[in-house]
Amino acid sequence: MPYLNSRFPFGLFAASALAYVLLVGPAPAEVPEPQGFFMGPLHDEVPATLSGARVIDAQGLASLLEQGNVVLIDAASLPHKPENLPPEAVWKPVPHQNIPGSIWIPGIGEGNIDETIDSYFHDRLSALTDHALDRVIVFYCHPHCRASWNAAKRALGYGYRDVVWYPGGAEGWQDAEHALVVAQPEAPPQQAGR
Amino acid sequence: MKGFAWGALAGAVLFAAAAAAQDDEAARTARWKDLAQEIFGAKQLQNGDAKIALDAPERAFDAALVPITITVQNPADVKSIYLVIDDNPAPVAAHVTFGPAGDPQSLKLRVRVDQYTNMHAVEETKDGALYETHRFVKASGGCSAPSGSYDSEALSEIGQMKLHFLPNPQTGHAREAQLLIRHPNFNGMQRDPQTQGFTPARFLKSIDVTLNGESVLHLDSDISLASDPAITFGVNGQGKGKLAVTARDSDNMVFEKGFDLGEEHS
Repeated sequence: MPYLNSRFPFGLFAASALAYVLLVGPAPAEVPEPQGFFMGPLHDEVPATLSGARVIDAQGLASLLEQGNVVLIDAASLPHKPENLPPEAVWKPVPHQNIPGSIWIPGIGEGNIDETIDSYFHDRLSALTDHALDRVIVFYCHPHCRASWNAAKRALGYGYRDVVWYPGGAEGWQDAEHALVVAQPEAPPQQAGR
Repeated sequence: MKGFAWGALAGAVLFAAAAAAQDDEAARTARWKDLAQEIFGAKQLQNGDAKIALDAPERAFDAALVPITITVQNPADVKSIYLVIDDNPAPVAAHVTFGPAGDPQSLKLRVRVDQYTNMHAVEETKDGALYETHRFVKASGGCSAPSGSYDSEALSEIGQMKLHFLPNPQTGHAREAQLLIRHPNFNGMQRDPQTQGFTPARFLKSIDVTLNGESVLHLDSDISLASDPAITFGVNGQGKGKLAVTARDSDNMVFEKGFDLGEEHS
């Protein structure tokens, strides 16, 4: 094992060289929009666009919210506690924070969603928009989070005509010097036998 | 008049931003108080800015692989070091207890960061005092980020280890070792790309390192260490003989490897 006797830290050197390449290297290739929904892990690079929807930055969101009459949906997932975490391990997820005025519905951004959450999402949007398909609905979650993209695409599928996707997420809002608030999730009522 | 209005508006925006920053700060302080109570109980933590330093990128490129360096001013006083990532769901990323053959002067780890968070490094001295330092790190999504290239083929290499051993020119005696352990460290929050279900958690629970039978360090961890855990630590003594590593994971698999450090050259 040559590295053991080496007087020069090749391994560390290579690691830092690699880190350097990662830090300053070329931007990742653009992610194309999938035919349907993003199916795999939801934390990954996102596309620049969503066909049929507007894509905005924090400034765009700020002016939309200022105008009012906007339905703001947070599609972030709930933290998932691993079953086999040792009993002595500290498990303490922070309270979820999001943009003031948001409705947080975890699960609406999954690649596949079951009928219960799908109809709950559909009904909630309908109620929140007063059944007006032309109301502005903004979707977000976190940076590099595909859940809001999927959820926004789902809303387009329900027939909403002014769907807006804010890929900057809660952190992007925070970066733009806006406050976040602690939020509670909404979920379909538990049904017997499910 | 117009100028005045704009000035007032700008002032209001600045005021709102400052208020938001204060809220954040208050929330972070409250979170840490809460965590410190849970981890350290009634023991008081003292400001350790002069004793312990925590180095991390202010904004991490890859939230699933954030490099951390912890250095201490008085290695001889140190019993153990905690690394706490305040806003991770499982915040205690590592607790490293040093043995007689270990040198706590510098410790490097790679961790996952789930959202913008304070991180704390806490030094526990041999006489039981606790000193903390912290910094803010901007990274998000590290906990649900896919675990790189971990397929069944990669899993067949689980537990393989490499060691890079570096002479430390400053002290002449202590040396630094970088230990790499091949292990996915699945944290139970990642998705299987095929099934879309959660990949069951499987992570390193402990790492023990000895030099000629004497303890260098004992590390306790759970799900906040990055995939393929890498830890760089100091070794006391002449830096020769046998360095033995025992790592245990949550499936109760034990991985062992010995490294012959050869002759001391310096």
